[in-house]
Amino acid sequence: MSSLGAADTPPTARRAAQWLRREARLIRGPLLRTALFTALLALSLVAQAWVLAAILTAGVLERAPFAQLWPLCAALLVLALLRVMLTIGARRSAVCGAQQLAGVLRARLLQEVQALGTLGLRASASGDLLTRLVDGIEAVLAYFARYLPQAGAAVLVPLLLAAFIFPADWLSGLVLVLTAPLIPLFMVLVGRAAARASEQRYAQLRRLGAAFIDALGGLVTLRQLGAAERFAARLERENEAYRVLSLQVLRVAFLSSLVLEFFAMVSIAIVAVLIGFRLLWGELALRDGLFVLLLAPEFYLQLRGLGTLRHTRMDAVAAAEQLAALEVDAAAVPAHSVGTAPVRCERAPEIRLEHLAYLYRGRGTGLHECSFTIRPAQLTALVGPSGSGKSTLLNLLLGFAAPDRGRILVDGVDLAGCDPRQWRDCIAWVPQSSHVFEGTVRENVLVANREADAAALNRALEASGLAPVLARLPHGAETVLGERGVGLSGGQLQRLALARALVRERTRVWLLDEPAAHLDRDGAGEFQALIRAAAASRTVLMAVHRLSAACAADWVVVLEGGRVVEQGPPQHLRGSAGAFSALLQAEHS
Amino acid sequence: MSAPTLSTVRRLLAVLFPQRRWMLGGAGLALLAALAATGLMAVSGWFIAAMALAGTAGLAINYYTPAAAIRLFAIVRSAGRYGERLITHEATLRGLSRLRVWVFRRLIPLAPARLGALRSAELFARLRADVDALEHFYLAVLVPGSVALLSTAAAALLCLALLPAAAGALLIGVLLAGVLAPLWLQRRAAPHAARAVLLGAALRGRLLDALRGQAELLVWGGVAAHSGRIRALAADLDARRTRVEFLEALGSALVGLCAQLTLLAVLLFALPAVHRGRLSPPLLVLLTLLVLSSFEIIAPLTEALARWSSTLTSAERVFALAETPPPMHEPSAAAPIPPRPAIVFEGVGLRYEEEGAWALENLDLTLAPGVRVAVVGPSGAGKSSLIAALLKFYPVQRGRVLFGDQPLEALDGDALRRRIAVIAQQTVLFNQSLLDNLLLAAPQASAEQIARAVSLAQLDSFIASLPEGYDTVLGEGGALVSGGEARRISIARALLQDAPVLVLDEPTEGLDAHTARGLYAALSSAARGRTVLLITHRVSGLAQLVDEVVILAAGRIRARVPVATYLASGRD
Repeated sequence: MSSLGAADTPPTARRAAQWLRREARLIRGPLLRTALFTALLALSLVAQAWVLAAILTAGVLERAPFAQLWPLCAALLVLALLRVMLTIGARRSAVCGAQQLAGVLRARLLQEVQALGTLGLRASASGDLLTRLVDGIEAVLAYFARYLPQAGAAVLVPLLLAAFIFPADWLSGLVLVLTAPLIPLFMVLVGRAAARASEQRYAQLRRLGAAFIDALGGLVTLRQLGAAERFAARLERENEAYRVLSLQVLRVAFLSSLVLEFFAMVSIAIVAVLIGFRLLWGELALRDGLFVLLLAPEFYLQLRGLGTLRHTRMDAVAAAEQLAALEVDAAAVPAHSVGTAPVRCERAPEIRLEHLAYLYRGRGTGLHECSFTIRPAQLTALVGPSGSGKSTLLNLLLGFAAPDRGRILVDGVDLAGCDPRQWRDCIAWVPQSSHVFEGTVRENVLVANREADAAALNRALEASGLAPVLARLPHGAETVLGERGVGLSGGQLQRLALARALVRERTRVWLLDEPAAHLDRDGAGEFQALIRAAAASRTVLMAVHRLSAACAADWVVVLEGGRVVEQGPPQHLRGSAGAFSALLQAEHS
Repeated sequence: MSAPTLSTVRRLLAVLFPQRRWMLGGAGLALLAALAATGLMAVSGWFIAAMALAGTAGLAINYYTPAAAIRLFAIVRSAGRYGERLITHEATLRGLSRLRVWVFRRLIPLAPARLGALRSAELFARLRADVDALEHFYLAVLVPGSVALLSTAAAALLCLALLPAAAGALLIGVLLAGVLAPLWLQRRAAPHAARAVLLGAALRGRLLDALRGQAELLVWGGVAAHSGRIRALAADLDARRTRVEFLEALGSALVGLCAQLTLLAVLLFALPAVHRGRLSPPLLVLLTLLVLSSFEIIAPLTEALARWSSTLTSAERVFALAETPPPMHEPSAAAPIPPRPAIVFEGVGLRYEEEGAWALENLDLTLAPGVRVAVVGPSGAGKSSLIAALLKFYPVQRGRVLFGDQPLEALDGDALRRRIAVIAQQTVLFNQSLLDNLLLAAPQASAEQIARAVSLAQLDSFIASLPEGYDTVLGEGGALVSGGEARRISIARALLQDAPVLVLDEPTEGLDAHTARGLYAALSSAARGRTVLLITHRVSGLAQLVDEVVILAAGRIRARVPVATYLASGRD
């Protein structure tokens, strides 16, 4: 089957098949157990058919009374009970194997997604990734739990049955054995066309998912712009495209099952008629005839079952392609050489940036030859127009990406040789836009420090100015936050972000990206004072737009086009006719 | 069936009603195929036995008719099955496709007031997974159920004619295997299945958190813990599913057992009947095979009942969402929107929760057409609520808001919002091309209009720098553009809307001084001739954009002064 298809299978499909085979190896045990149960089921079926044929023959030819046949009837009962146990055993081992695999897969894929890194993640839609992680795994799971066991049964059962049918009636056996291979042959032919359609369908499914995530995330904006109805129409089109593609896949899949059904039914009819005539001519015993007739539908049953699961396999292959691609993407991310050099920041460290260069993958500004020092117990402000490289610099400091050239030294230790986790343990961070996690305000603050006790939490809430906001909410800190913090204003979200930083009380390095964004003047002032006070015992780097905030810093670094164009204490920079004073003038004019 | 279940089923049927022709056609073909399969086996059995008897007795027999019938059954069976599957799937796909967009349309008026608590991952789960699950209602419940019912009735009638006791045995067996056993199993599986649906949705939410909040988790060392939580959720989900699968397997095994027991019961009655000559011997074989085939038809019922509860849970979640009443009702006959409206807040009181604190309290504010006003005040003063009320996103509990001479209740919300361009605090961009993002509010804008808006928003050099220009796709949530660029895109978008009222909600937040200054200049030329409502914290550039400043505190207006007075008052 596979050799037939191999010649012109696209490389991605081959990769998907390889991927599925590799995963199957992980659960070889349960798969083999399932096969064993299946074989036993087939044998019990043969026994059942033989007993029933014997009973019926005696009933028809000899008009035997029940009293004479009860031992055979008792045997039927025993066989029926045996089959109950075998059926459950087969299904159970198949499902357990698949679930076992699902656990492994989910963990591994999550790791791969994480390996893509925050920078890699932004580029691909999270709705799309989510589809891969959830639906992709479901599709693969269905393949292992249902398709693969059924495929095993489709090979095993007919072979076993044929072994018993031939001795009983070779002619019927010949009919069955000759028609049976035609079924997979047609299925392969039809299946190839379906595979292509299935790929398109899966791609459309992902498009549809991304479109829905997009629309749902921006529903308010769409209403504001009066574009919601038009977006609904777009979704309708995407949906319709998905429906049409789905039907294409199904039509082909059903065609293959039509072939199956047709061969199966016609063969049974031929077998029945042939048996009938040979019985009439006295060339066959009734018992053998009935035995074969009872087994004939079972001969095709497993193949038919496989036909109904055909799209399970196609979905799984399409999903496996995506998952294998994710694997390749993740493997392509240069391995973070996780060093072992200790970074300990019990006291505020000195952070020295030496000739940092980073080529931005995608668009935007990279960094060129950035060198400056963030001194301990000082507040260093990073200023520059948007797109000057401030965020890139922070990303490097956070270890989200490694610099292409140059190094970052923390108290003389090169970060490249450190364990990023250990380094990040030293950092409190306020990002430009924070993600709000599913959960309460309390949980959302404590993501930053799960060890914090109630007192520490309260201190963080008070200091960030979130406490009075929460006091006005009916559920206080237990208020559940919605998507992107619906329910909190921009300023309140910013306070949440600050509270997260504050709850990491022991950190000695603060990296702040626009900490006072979305705050009113009083709030911004409060924040500024708080950061000033914190800087006394910490190393603080703060990227800001508002130059008034930069003026309160101990040291200002001006970035432009990814280069440090000026640095020094703000009072000096103000006086000189450099980039900083130019920026100040621009703000005040 | 409980009352809520019944009403859910009724609503499901109502949703599917437009597809009734497809659905009836599909079910009809399914019945035909099922009867043909039973017929094939039963007649074959009879035929073989009759031929054997004729052979041993050396009698003549009419074998043309049964042989032809056998072949006919075979063909009807295969063709019917193909048609059935095609048509049933066509029916469900059509129904679900419509349903999904219908639910989305029902969601539109709920944002933002009623959707606050629901995250988009949860909404997405309901629209995708729950709606998908509803296909089982027809494919796995309605069709197999009705086919099983009708074909069993047909088989029982045939039995009744041949051997009444066999009909009784068949009915009892089918009742046991098709109804009682699955019901019992379903009751056992229901809590697990329902929980699995919820766990699936929770898992999606957690995964979305893991993806979108990855930077936070990395820095805070929460990756392992969060992954642990995902693993725990997934493990729970898998355990529930395994349980359900096990019960399903038990169900299908029980059907097999019932079939054999019924077969034994039929033999118990039929063998003596043959022995005494009350039943012709070939009919013994016919009855046997009829019974066995009948149970093949009811085999899918176990799955149907297992699906039943998870399908209902999904349906309830979908309907709960779609039937949430919108916070504000649109008027049946909307008043025309005045071209140059004054905006008047008359004693407006607004709060988000009953018994909650007032976000706006007894607020009076009149904005004559063309007036340009800044609203300042500490966060929580009610600035955003003012806009929410004006945009008709939230109802006001006291007083009223007039647009022109019309209260907002008399105006169509969409039409109203078309006349108010908003540049909001949080810029939301969509995963479409830059051009599509610009044209959201004004799909018919001409090339010149676009060029003008783009240059006013100072986007031209940015667009020129993009290799794909206007066709650049912005990524999810506009992830591929920087904060400043996103803001400028949203400004251009609002400018294209060409509305008489311009609401600026912190339009320069997050932009550097240079860009901000340029934007104020651009905005002031765009604002010319429009009513401007600016919400800001910044003082620089204020005089360029507005004439007056309204100071808001605790939901009330503290003062309204000319901008020069405000700036001179030394408040920075």
